[in-house]
Amino acid sequence: MTNKRTGHVLLGINALVLGYLPAAWKTPLLKKDAFIDPDYWANIGKAAERGTLDAIFLADGPLLGDPAYDANPIRLEPTVNWGHVAAETSHVGLVATASSTFNDPFELAERFLSFDHQTGGRAAWNVVTTRGVPAARNFGIPDVPLRDDRYERANEFVDVVRALWESAATGRDVHFHGDFFDIDGRLRVPPSKQGRPIIFQAGGSPQGRELAGRAAEGVFAAELTKNQAIEHYRLVKGFARSNGRSPDEIKILPGLLLSLGSTEEEARRRSDELHDAGPASYSIGWLSQAIGVDASKLELDEPFPEEVLGPLDDTQTFLGSIGFRESIITQIRKTNPTVRDYLKQTRYTGSGHAGFVGTPEQLADHIEDWFHAGAIDGFNLQPDRLIDGLDVIVDELVPILRKRGLYRHQYETQTLREHFQAASPTPAF
Amino acid sequence: MTKPYLALGLAGPHLVELTTSPSLLSRWDALPLAFSVLGIDRIDGSAPAPVTLASSAAGATLAGSTKHGRFLIAATPQRDHPYNIARRVASLSHLSGGRSGLLIGVRDAYAPEGPKDAPAWGGAGLGGGAPLNAQTAYDTARAVRALEQSWPYDSIIGNRETGILVEANRIVHVDIDNSFSIAGPLNAPEPETGASVIAWYAEAPADAPPVDDNNPIDLVLGGSGSVPIVVLGDEPPAGAFAGVVLRAGIEQSVNDLLSAAERWLADGFAPTSLGGPLRAALNLPAPEPLPSTARPAFPVPQPHVSL
Repeated sequence: MTNKRTGHVLLGINALVLGYLPAAWKTPLLKKDAFIDPDYWANIGKAAERGTLDAIFLADGPLLGDPAYDANPIRLEPTVNWGHVAAETSHVGLVATASSTFNDPFELAERFLSFDHQTGGRAAWNVVTTRGVPAARNFGIPDVPLRDDRYERANEFVDVVRALWESAATGRDVHFHGDFFDIDGRLRVPPSKQGRPIIFQAGGSPQGRELAGRAAEGVFAAELTKNQAIEHYRLVKGFARSNGRSPDEIKILPGLLLSLGSTEEEARRRSDELHDAGPASYSIGWLSQAIGVDASKLELDEPFPEEVLGPLDDTQTFLGSIGFRESIITQIRKTNPTVRDYLKQTRYTGSGHAGFVGTPEQLADHIEDWFHAGAIDGFNLQPDRLIDGLDVIVDELVPILRKRGLYRHQYETQTLREHFQAASPTPAF
Repeated sequence: MTKPYLALGLAGPHLVELTTSPSLLSRWDALPLAFSVLGIDRIDGSAPAPVTLASSAAGATLAGSTKHGRFLIAATPQRDHPYNIARRVASLSHLSGGRSGLLIGVRDAYAPEGPKDAPAWGGAGLGGGAPLNAQTAYDTARAVRALEQSWPYDSIIGNRETGILVEANRIVHVDIDNSFSIAGPLNAPEPETGASVIAWYAEAPADAPPVDDNNPIDLVLGGSGSVPIVVLGDEPPAGAFAGVVLRAGIEQSVNDLLSAAERWLADGFAPTSLGGPLRAALNLPAPEPLPSTARPAFPVPQPHVSL
């Protein structure tokens, strides 16, 4: 690249409740019910704000996975949780995930615009389509619609929501009659400081990327390798351009699973300890769901058989994320590990989302490298355990990035959209 | 005769006014009120005001920016589903220390009706849906109550030796099959303060809830209930009531409402203790637990082994 990229990266924190590793709850730093403790959540917001971070994210789905060993499946409703955190913070962006499958677009539009109003224009809606039978059965249907149908619905859902947000500003009724929704009415919620919430799109399926290019201002991507990230970055920015938008109107932040330590050895030790403190059945269950194969039937000490790595028979009924699966298969093909080694490796290299185990200095190098390579606009950082992992990001990583001119010293903008606009422009490609 | 408690009814514009004014918020928070209804005009048959907020969004702000004030959020199944309502109700209770509850309504003044054959929830386009009537609202209340109870709070044990965070076998399906079909469980535990208070609005006897054996309604507001609603400017009603909701019209301000509340609390109304859970403040009994026959949602957790 001839012209070095200027400006700063975007930094988000994907809270994943207590952290992405199942054993995060075991630390004596946390009360046993920290995941529903208002102070726990408020302190995350305050810590993120101390680091002038751009946003904090909450994943979501209207279902409960087994919480026996892990706080990750436990979900306070994100607009309520972040609405509460907003009252104790003033600048950090608040990204709340909500399903386009299991909501009514009128209710969601009204609630998210209200949330945006109440947070002073710091809100975003992260659109997901939601997979899996347990969610469907909470809404009286036997299974989720097929992937193409979910995305057709998501596209229309997003259009209705955007039209309703517009109606709040114009005072004019929306008359929408589509394949899924019929709406005649308008919102009476006052527009927020940023007008309307940011729309995020999560996931790496072709349908998801197209939706992002058309309608999203942020993408929560899943990337394991830099080259793949560059390719997808250009693809999605290209979709934006072909929709008549500037590539700068859409910011791309892949997730990055983190274990940090003052030395690389300390970081690995932390990661190992946290992994060993969690149940082994998790890794196998995770892999099964992620690649669409019962991994408990694979020989742990043999490489992955070719039939497991081939294309899916049926992408419509596959319950995992296509973007994650693509990342994982690429990674496995690169090194051809045994199943056991792969499961252990993912401790350091991530799983679907890329992983990083090392020092804050090394992480700053990684961020700088991907940033200048044109692979990202920022990262959505996912600490192994939030209660102490977030402080390392705020107190050690952020100062290094600031010294390198890659991050701001204080908030210079107020709303989430302004934070996004103030970040580095898209490099030429 | 016991003095009645005082509650407030806020309409859409008051939600905007209150939540954007630190001085009004602190004044509201200092009043010994029983509770405030956030957006009573959404469900009481009023015409929509020029502005409003989603009730749960206003509730989230109050949970985070106040310490004492209690509130009911207003919701209906017109454009909403009981599972989603239950999530917001339970989350607010966790985050407010039990200061919150739900006022369930039949119709939502601010939302367009859904399709003619299923105007409640049918607009979500997922199939299903129900008529827009008291039975559907009542079934919604029942589902919200059951979902909030589907995961007992004391199943959170956090045993670091066995690696078991939650005795997940004590979490149950709700298997509801009324106006809605809902398997459950809810994805958050029951609040430590117990299942949220659920209120109903009934101005006339015809608006009464269609009560059955499993009545989830703790409190009926309005002329047919134990807590009548008085319009700001009118005199307190004669007779013995548990409490009174003082409701401002949209042309009146939050300041007007708080000033009147301060006067009424000084003369004839009983102060309710500042802060603490809504159920305790209203002396309402704890709801019956779910039947012991409910299906466990997860197996008995086993102490874990490493890879």
